[in-house]
Amino acid sequence: MFSVFLQAWSSEGEGINFMSIAFLSVLLPMLLTGLKLTLKIAVFGIIFGFLIGSVTGYILQSKLKILKFIGGVYIWIIRGTPLIVQALYTYFVIPKLLGIDMSNNTVGILVISLNSGAFIAEIVRGALQSIDPGQKEAGLSLGLTPAQTMFHVIVPPAFRNMLPALCNQFIIVVKDTALLSIINVNEITHLGQNYAALSFRTIETYTVLALFYLAIISVLIILQKNVEKRLTLGVKKCSM
Amino acid sequence: MLDVKHLVKSFDELDVLKDINLHVDEGEVVCIIGPSGSGKSTFLRCINRLETPSGGTILYQGRDVTSSGMDIRQLREEVGMVFQHFNLFPLKTVLENVMLAPVLTKSRSKTEARKFALELLEKVGLSDKANAMPANLSGGQQQRVAIARALAMQPKVLLFDEPTSALDPELVGEVLEVMKKLADDGMTMLVVTHEMGFARDVAHRVVFMDNGMIVEEGRPQDIFTDPKEERTRVFLNRILEN
Repeated sequence: MFSVFLQAWSSEGEGINFMSIAFLSVLLPMLLTGLKLTLKIAVFGIIFGFLIGSVTGYILQSKLKILKFIGGVYIWIIRGTPLIVQALYTYFVIPKLLGIDMSNNTVGILVISLNSGAFIAEIVRGALQSIDPGQKEAGLSLGLTPAQTMFHVIVPPAFRNMLPALCNQFIIVVKDTALLSIINVNEITHLGQNYAALSFRTIETYTVLALFYLAIISVLIILQKNVEKRLTLGVKKCSM
Repeated sequence: MLDVKHLVKSFDELDVLKDINLHVDEGEVVCIIGPSGSGKSTFLRCINRLETPSGGTILYQGRDVTSSGMDIRQLREEVGMVFQHFNLFPLKTVLENVMLAPVLTKSRSKTEARKFALELLEKVGLSDKANAMPANLSGGQQQRVAIARALAMQPKVLLFDEPTSALDPELVGEVLEVMKKLADDGMTMLVVTHEMGFARDVAHRVVFMDNGMIVEEGRPQDIFTDPKEERTRVFLNRILEN
């Protein structure tokens, strides 16, 4: 693979030539358009996924039996099927079953949100359960309501504990949007594929495409490190 | 102030408390001693409803704690608790730990709550640690913060669940000293403890529990020098040997 890459760099005057950068004036604006949609779907997916996941995760560790069962089925379905199949199903089957119309972008956001929601629910459940029951008892024994105990006593350390797993899930969300190309969502990978197919510049296109993802994810990783650093100032660990 | 009648608590098949009867007057310090697994902690936790009793009644100032009409949150404001493992909030500073509940429950202004919290920290000898994180304190200091935190709600009764059992031996004294000061100030206290010295010197009454029952209760000098029951004698001999 690497030798092909080198060849592309060195073969002058031929069709494939990395040194000639004229094609970039077409490719880059195209990928930037796709990037916008990728980021839009990822941001919505992260926000909705976090909301769905927080509520479901809370339910899973609660004593609400019926809701717990529903949450369990939801997670079972999402974890038990590939994201691509979920996208195809939501795009082709659900609208027919319900008699509704959804644009592929809407389907994209919906699928990504529901998918990440299930995985975030497991992260949230685990984090809430990792907090020593003594913390809850301390909050309650001081006369706090169960809700106050949850938000002021349990959630802060739970959130800190789940941050690495949560950020990891956010990164997965960004990358999973690429799979939506299967239902013709014009996100960055789909547009890249189109361009490569028409121009035959596969090496250049996919290299630039990969660099785009690498750049976004790198920003996320830096953000994660900053937040983690801020949250751990002066505190050793959160097992108490 | 507290009147416990025929209190029963079972977990599934296991009867942890079998017919507990105890009366505690205002300002009284009662130490509960007994072997581990005798139900001492469960008894304490029934009083502020961290455990739900299976039967019997607990009257707090004439109101039945076990009835469904009881405002448990209000009860817990008045009946504070200090835990064996301190249970401080790890991401909050010492001052924030003490201020949290008054600000959230009493709609007290932050300035007021802060002033009172600092007074309490001074009372437990930790004014210089107000801005420290719990993880950076010794066990004894953490437990003193936990006592200040409980006092911040201005409780009428304080329950201590083995407050010094998780401490290194050299740190026990500082916590007991704070508790003694509270007792001298007239706080009503129920203390589950293995510190026989504290029970002897500070308690007005000592209760010996074994196997989910109160075997014997009385003035400390009577219990420690002349126990009536064989089980009390065996327990005390075993403890005082060490």
